[in-house]
Amino acid sequence: MRAHRDTRILLSVLALLSLGPVVVHAAPAPYSADGLYNLANSYARAGKPGLAVLNYERARLLAPTDPDIEANLRQVQKSAKVPQATPSAFERAVTIAGPTTLSWTGLGGILLLGASLVAGTSAGRSASAGGSADAGGIPSRYRWLRRASAVLGLALSGLTVCNAVVVWPQLHQAVILTPATPVRVAPVPMGDPLFVLPEAETVTMTAEHEGFVLIHSHGRSGWVAAANIAPVVPH
Amino acid sequence: MGLCAVARAVAAPPPVNVTLEPRQISLGETAQLTITSEGMGMDGITLPQVAGLEFRVVGQSRRVEIINGATLATTSVILRVTPETAGIFTIPGMTPNSQPLVLRVNPDNGSGSASQYNNPNLANRPPLAAGGSSTNGIRMTADGAAFVRMNLPKRDVYVGESIPVDIEVGMRAGFVQSLNGLPTLTGNDFTLNNLSRKPERVEKLVDGKPFTVLTWHSVLAPVKPGTFTLSVQSPLTIRVRTRPARDSLIDDLLGDPFMQNFFGATVAKDVTVSSPPEDLKVLALPTEGRPTDFSGAVGSFKIASDLSATTAAVGDPLTLRLHVTGTGNFDRVDTPMLEHVEQWKTYPPKSSFKESDAIGVKGEKTFEQPLIASHPGPQTLPDLTFSYFDPETRRYETARTAPPPVTIAPALADATPGAPSSATAGASATPGSLTTAGAARPTAAVPAEPSSPEMRPDHAITAGAATSLVPLYLRPTFLAVPLLALAFAGGWFGMRHRGASLGISRGRNRRSEASANRLLQPMRAAARAGDAAAFFTAACIALREALAARWQLAPEQLTADDLAARLAADANPDAAGVLEIFALADEAKYAGRDLKSIDYERWTQVVRSQLLEAT
Repeated sequence: MRAHRDTRILLSVLALLSLGPVVVHAAPAPYSADGLYNLANSYARAGKPGLAVLNYERARLLAPTDPDIEANLRQVQKSAKVPQATPSAFERAVTIAGPTTLSWTGLGGILLLGASLVAGTSAGRSASAGGSADAGGIPSRYRWLRRASAVLGLALSGLTVCNAVVVWPQLHQAVILTPATPVRVAPVPMGDPLFVLPEAETVTMTAEHEGFVLIHSHGRSGWVAAANIAPVVPH
Repeated sequence: MGLCAVARAVAAPPPVNVTLEPRQISLGETAQLTITSEGMGMDGITLPQVAGLEFRVVGQSRRVEIINGATLATTSVILRVTPETAGIFTIPGMTPNSQPLVLRVNPDNGSGSASQYNNPNLANRPPLAAGGSSTNGIRMTADGAAFVRMNLPKRDVYVGESIPVDIEVGMRAGFVQSLNGLPTLTGNDFTLNNLSRKPERVEKLVDGKPFTVLTWHSVLAPVKPGTFTLSVQSPLTIRVRTRPARDSLIDDLLGDPFMQNFFGATVAKDVTVSSPPEDLKVLALPTEGRPTDFSGAVGSFKIASDLSATTAAVGDPLTLRLHVTGTGNFDRVDTPMLEHVEQWKTYPPKSSFKESDAIGVKGEKTFEQPLIASHPGPQTLPDLTFSYFDPETRRYETARTAPPPVTIAPALADATPGAPSSATAGASATPGSLTTAGAARPTAAVPAEPSSPEMRPDHAITAGAATSLVPLYLRPTFLAVPLLALAFAGGWFGMRHRGASLGISRGRNRRSEASANRLLQPMRAAARAGDAAAFFTAACIALREALAARWQLAPEQLTADDLAARLAADANPDAAGVLEIFALADEAKYAGRDLKSIDYERWTQVVRSQLLEAT
């Protein structure tokens, strides 16, 4: 009886917490993987590889498994003669679905793991009380089900965490929008140029200062005017 | 040849006449010592040795006179006496009977020498060359070997003004051995800038004599107002003639310095040649009418401006250039250009100077100021101004120029694609803030074919949209769900664990209570029956069991002595009561003592406390 009451409390709390995602969906939805992909194609046709790569990268964030996005992105990068990143096996393994799907998957995994632990606790109490199914707990013959649920929940939540580890650097990437963009030694317009980046190259942002962005690209770093660069994830 | 004559004269008798002319000279001049001896030789005469004087035979003559049929011959040797230092020198007699001669050498007779000796910094420098003639602003050294001249403007000048000057050092060909340094100014009232290392070299005639003239072009800058005397000097090593001035015609006739040196007509001497002093009036810059942006520029200037581009995007750095051209002190030409311009971000300018003459008085100074527009649209930059003082008009001038207008487009990251395909024509693409899914693809129902055959075609928009590109699991609103779930699970298990601990404790207490009640039951029954012996016997049994369990002994192993010792060791507060219970039990059992007035409740509590403590 007591275990039954605990289960009801747990379900009520989880139902309350699930309002968060509902609120998220209540806001207007301006981003679409297909829309970004089409926009990137338009830029590619217009001869703007920087903006094309930028929108391909954004589309890929929403639909990482879309082969068209990947193919056109590589095509544009190849045409612009910029280096292309090859994903590792681990990155491909944990990017089997979009971030939204993996978000719900991870949440479901956490709930599954929690429910199995709660059920295990209730079963243990029932056993210590000398009863089994008649005491309100899960019968011991379903113990394998509890364990399987725990393992599955752990795997799903782990998949989401790994996906976050892979996606996190992409959130701090940016694309060079102008040809022969100078990378300067200091965040001032008259700073001495260190090297030049081609349009459409993807770099990593690490800091911002007074209209300049500190970028890293293939072991090199320097300051680029913010007007010449666009972050993959807008601020 | 002269030496041979002197050698022959050494052995001759000594009717000798010695004359010295002049007896007083200045340093840098020479005197002539004439030794006249009767006869055809100069035997018995030795050259004098005087420290600080150099004697050199420069000539010899013989004279033969016939008077009344008698022949009278005299021989003369002419010596050039050159002082090396100033002072009074005594020349000993040539023969034992001749009188010594005294030569007075003054330090110097040239103008400007006083300043040299008054200036301690110049005390160790070579002496100034003796002043000579001064024609056309040229003052020669005493022997006309060299001169220094400085060409100054004939007007008043201003503090800070850059005054072009020409410094000429003329050196008579063959008479100047070396130039030992660059010309320098006397006094500290001016600075001499940009003195070129390689002077211009020309050959010219001065007073009909050939000179090599080295000309330095430089800039003179007065540092304070007033009237100052200005002179320039140059260190030289010259060849000083060892013949009298009247004999210099011979040198001039010889012309060739090699021939002159061959005949020993000159000696090397370090001198400092100075120019005639000139007065220069320096005026202070007027304070009346001085512009606020006046930086100290004095001269005549013009300005112009341009922009690196007339169209740019928001955030693109532009370069605004200000060109200042003209004549003046460009080292003081400075301007902050634009500061605090609305809708623009300005940076401090940097400047570069490109001179158009050798001394940097004429040229063009360019200021480059980076600007970044913060708002799109047509922009007009404020006029640029530059203030300077014109010494010709004797007033401050402010030049003004208007930069060209510039059109600022939206930032590239926020720009609409220039000419997208028909599929996205009219779409508002804003990569910086991104467009809506519908706006990004208004005609998504008709996917367009890519221009490149390798590229894959557009998609029809079927998927759902997202409010952010940040993955859902990284958004705070979503992250709160698993975090709260974890917190709830942690709290759940914490509560369960605490509840289990409390349950165990309660059960243990209940079991202790039950055990104590079980042992107390016979005591209570005996008390109700008034049987003291049975009461204390039951009490002994209960205490023995409880204490034996506490001390982990068998009840039968617990003796009276052991009991007392262990109770004392435990510092049991009821030790006295426990021992008394055992004593009363023995009395009731073995001595048959009547214990009618016994307080059963008190002894029951003593036993109960021991039982509960033991469990």
